[in-house]
Amino acid sequence: MEEIGFLGMGIMGKAMALNLLRHGFKVSVWNRTLSKCDELKEHGASVVESPAAVIKKCKYTIGMLSDPPAALSVVFDKDGILEEICSGKGYIDMSTVDAETSSKISEAVIKKGGRFLEAPVSGSKKPAEDGQLVILSAGEKGLYDEILPAFDVLGKKSFFLGEVGNGAKMKLVVNMIMGSMMNAFSEGLVLADKSGLSSKTLLDVLDLAAIANPMFKMKGPSMIQNNYSPAFPLKHQQKDMRLAIALGDENAVSMPVAAAANEAFKKARSTGLGDLDFSAVYEIFKVTEPST
Amino acid sequence: MVNLIRSVNYSHHYAAMAATFCPSLPQHFKPSPIIKFPRSSFSFKVFSSQSSADETPTRVGFLGLGIMGSPMALNLIKAGCDVTVWNRTKSKCDPLIDLGAKYKPSPAEVAASCDVTFAMLADPESALVVACGEDGAASGMSPGKGYVDVSTVDGPTSKLISGQIKETGALFLEAPVSGSKKPAEDGQLIFLTAGDISLYEKVASYLDIMGKSRFYLGDVGNGAAMKLVVNMIMGSMMTSFAEGLLLSEKVGLDPSVVVEVISQGAISAPMFSLKGPSMVQSKYPTAFPLKHQQKDMRLALSLAESVSQSTPIAAAANELYKVAKSHGLSDSDFSAVIEALKVKSKD
Repeated sequence: MEEIGFLGMGIMGKAMALNLLRHGFKVSVWNRTLSKCDELKEHGASVVESPAAVIKKCKYTIGMLSDPPAALSVVFDKDGILEEICSGKGYIDMSTVDAETSSKISEAVIKKGGRFLEAPVSGSKKPAEDGQLVILSAGEKGLYDEILPAFDVLGKKSFFLGEVGNGAKMKLVVNMIMGSMMNAFSEGLVLADKSGLSSKTLLDVLDLAAIANPMFKMKGPSMIQNNYSPAFPLKHQQKDMRLAIALGDENAVSMPVAAAANEAFKKARSTGLGDLDFSAVYEIFKVTEPST
Repeated sequence: MVNLIRSVNYSHHYAAMAATFCPSLPQHFKPSPIIKFPRSSFSFKVFSSQSSADETPTRVGFLGLGIMGSPMALNLIKAGCDVTVWNRTKSKCDPLIDLGAKYKPSPAEVAASCDVTFAMLADPESALVVACGEDGAASGMSPGKGYVDVSTVDGPTSKLISGQIKETGALFLEAPVSGSKKPAEDGQLIFLTAGDISLYEKVASYLDIMGKSRFYLGDVGNGAAMKLVVNMIMGSMMTSFAEGLLLSEKVGLDPSVVVEVISQGAISAPMFSLKGPSMVQSKYPTAFPLKHQQKDMRLALSLAESVSQSTPIAAAANELYKVAKSHGLSDSDFSAVIEALKVKSKD
């Protein structure tokens, strides 16, 4: 397959690019802080000096940026992809953004003759490393078909959901449920502990129940040890909750539980837990002893 | 008391060997460092209801033949146990009597004629009446007998029942279950027990007929608390799921695809895969009545209050169940809570 460009070497981008390299793809990478590309270089990637230069070099370029501002920046800023995007070239934005941001990027790319696919993912660091992401794409079907070989390496399942915006919305819906679940889980863990039960036993029971899920199984043990090394930073989860709630607001959909969950994530951010794994919201539910 | 529970950290986890006889059942058990093997071997269908000490088969009573009690009692009968039943509405006993169960007209008489009596009632009020009311089970209890309350109640109610039962010299075990109608039918319940450990050991083989795993959690109140914590998480999860499905529909996505996407990722849970498809079609066949889920949320919030814990998520979820109840959905499956989020047009 053609060489693939990759913008954004954060937690996700790095793991995904390495995965492509391991499977024999030629990859050119860019990151705002260039030093983050060093490890990729060691594994055979070419390091390129700007998003525009990556687009110029590659037929297909994937973007994996942390939030809407960053996603917009690599497109619209100086040396951004719009400077070199043209007929025949495709941009696949795998960042998690709101539908409006995605549409804005899509329009700008297509206006210059380029092709566009939004493709946010469900899954964090480990699924990215293991090529087990769930890809939620929407936009140009032809581009989706062409990039599928790369998707098959990056993920375990790909969905094509129709027009631009649908992928973004699907991702936000899923992450909204996930954020609320993490809050419910945290409330339960604290209640068990305060009622004199063993948190470990609660995890064992949950693992057998109808509500058993990989997230509880993976994160539960580290949470009860206060270990929150980031697979999915809390600040990004809160960003996703915020975008999902905005989507609900726009459509007058009642979502009281998500609203309550968002409050907990906000509180967690304000107490400095933003860069930890989103499971650190657990800390918010623990009652702190009043200082005497 | 709390510190004692923590240091003992009593929890037995036994993967039901019966599960291996039914390959179509989900293999939810995980290997545990403590695996107890039955002293007398038994096949799933033909059960010799021996405790290791007795020579005569144990006479088992079963009070309460609702959605859960009926299939549970049925599994005991199918396994060859000597079962005597009672239900407030007698007609519910008939199918079981047809299959060989005995019948007594009051909880007291069931308890008096049995060695171990199980009770599966809908809520704290009925559990209390059946155990301690007029002609209640306690009136038929005596030394050497045991009472196993499988109802889901609050800690104080459980302790009250325990006190009344033990006053007669009998043993008591609280044993609420995780799992609803289908797991009850399939013998795949999870027992969360606490109380007299000797009674726990005596009834272990019956629990293994009705369930896939069992936990012993120490003093009375711990089983009730564990059940409420689990159902609090479950109740909140269901409302989160409902919010997501509704939002997806309103923004032009196919909620069936949402269910599929979720089943592929980190938050994939049997409950979502099972109930998602019917929720998408606005159907809520009752496996776990919404009124009971709301009861559990209420009891969980009460437990949280008793230990001064703030639970905003559960509180928000509870409000939705209350709204659903006010819309007449008490007897629908608890997944009907999604209706509480939908806009009702004014007639």
